[in-house]
Amino acid sequence: MRRVLVAITLIAGVAACGGAQSMSPPSSPSMAAAPPPPPPSPAMGGKPGGQPWASVLAKTTPGTPAGPASAPHVAMMLIYTAHLTLAVFQVEAGPRARFDEALGSVEKHGDVLHRDVTAEDVTDEYADLDVRLKNARAMRDRLQQLLQNAAVKEAIDIEKELGRVTEDIERMEGKLKLLSDQIAFSTITVTFQPIDQNPVHDLARLPLPWLKDLGLAELLNVKEATP
Amino acid sequence: MRNLLQKVALVIVLLAAAASVGCGRPFDIKTPSEMLELKDQDPPFAYRAMTPDGVVVAMRVVDDDRADLGFWEHAVTLRIRELAGYSLLHESDVTSHDGTKGKELVFGHDENGKPYVYKVRVFVAQGRVFVLEAGGAKPQMDRYTPVVDWTMNSVKVTCRALLSPVFASRTCNRW
Repeated sequence: MRRVLVAITLIAGVAACGGAQSMSPPSSPSMAAAPPPPPPSPAMGGKPGGQPWASVLAKTTPGTPAGPASAPHVAMMLIYTAHLTLAVFQVEAGPRARFDEALGSVEKHGDVLHRDVTAEDVTDEYADLDVRLKNARAMRDRLQQLLQNAAVKEAIDIEKELGRVTEDIERMEGKLKLLSDQIAFSTITVTFQPIDQNPVHDLARLPLPWLKDLGLAELLNVKEATP
Repeated sequence: MRNLLQKVALVIVLLAAAASVGCGRPFDIKTPSEMLELKDQDPPFAYRAMTPDGVVVAMRVVDDDRADLGFWEHAVTLRIRELAGYSLLHESDVTSHDGTKGKELVFGHDENGKPYVYKVRVFVAQGRVFVLEAGGAKPQMDRYTPVVDWTMNSVKVTCRALLSPVFASRTCNRW
């Protein structure tokens, strides 16, 4: 069976998850402006209950919060990723502004064969990074103050340390921004999988081998006669 | 006694006629001096000849009496043009040397960036489809056009006959 697989990755801009608001760096405009991302529940991109993939939805990653009821006290920072496999006959899909709208839109193009929505909890990592970043910034400020009153020899050492701390700060800021982006933008990977066990050709061919063999390739492929 | 001899003679003639069936090609074609007929060619080619620089003329014979010339012409055209992607350059009525009506289709096709010409003539006779092909790179085909046309025009759709050298010019579809 010939299968044509077309993988389309849609990066849907969605809001930071509800609990992430308190942890969001104020310097991240996307986080501040983005509405909350949809939770990995059947309502997300979903058809009403009773759909074939409804049972698949229940099999989300263990530990994944199912909704507000199971949310812990600490604000959750989740990176959502969805994998869908659809049987389609026509595809005209494009990015959507929001995660659930994107899922819903994509699902209209075919029968959802498989749906897997997962959320990766990066709350601890984010919080740890945020604290380390604040400490590093404080260290940088102290070093800068010391530098103002330092002698030449001390100033050289302080400059070295200041450079190292600044480098750490930049690295942590980059990591924090990456996490923020991943939280703010959910990734939807959609595999469009035509079911072509009995494909219909545009032009049916006469089942005659000699017709198929017509052409220059066969004509000019001259074989040497055996002696 | 005389009656008996007549019967024996009749039986001999019938046996000879029967023995002749299945021998030889069901067509006749002349190979020009510019081409070499290739022996022991694998089916489906009943005949194949070529010039030193790669122009080939060949004949396929298909035992199929289910359709007429118009059908096969359309089938060949569709196959070559729409499925193989060749350009139909010219289409015309032709007549074989024995007077059988046929169709000639001339196609152009690029192979590895070089232009090639592919000619097909289709004849229907004796419950068979005769597919006469010629092809090669365009410069060579242009140069050998008189030779190729001469070869293709020499085709006679003949009976399977042991005595084909004698009766080669006799066409079964005229009998």
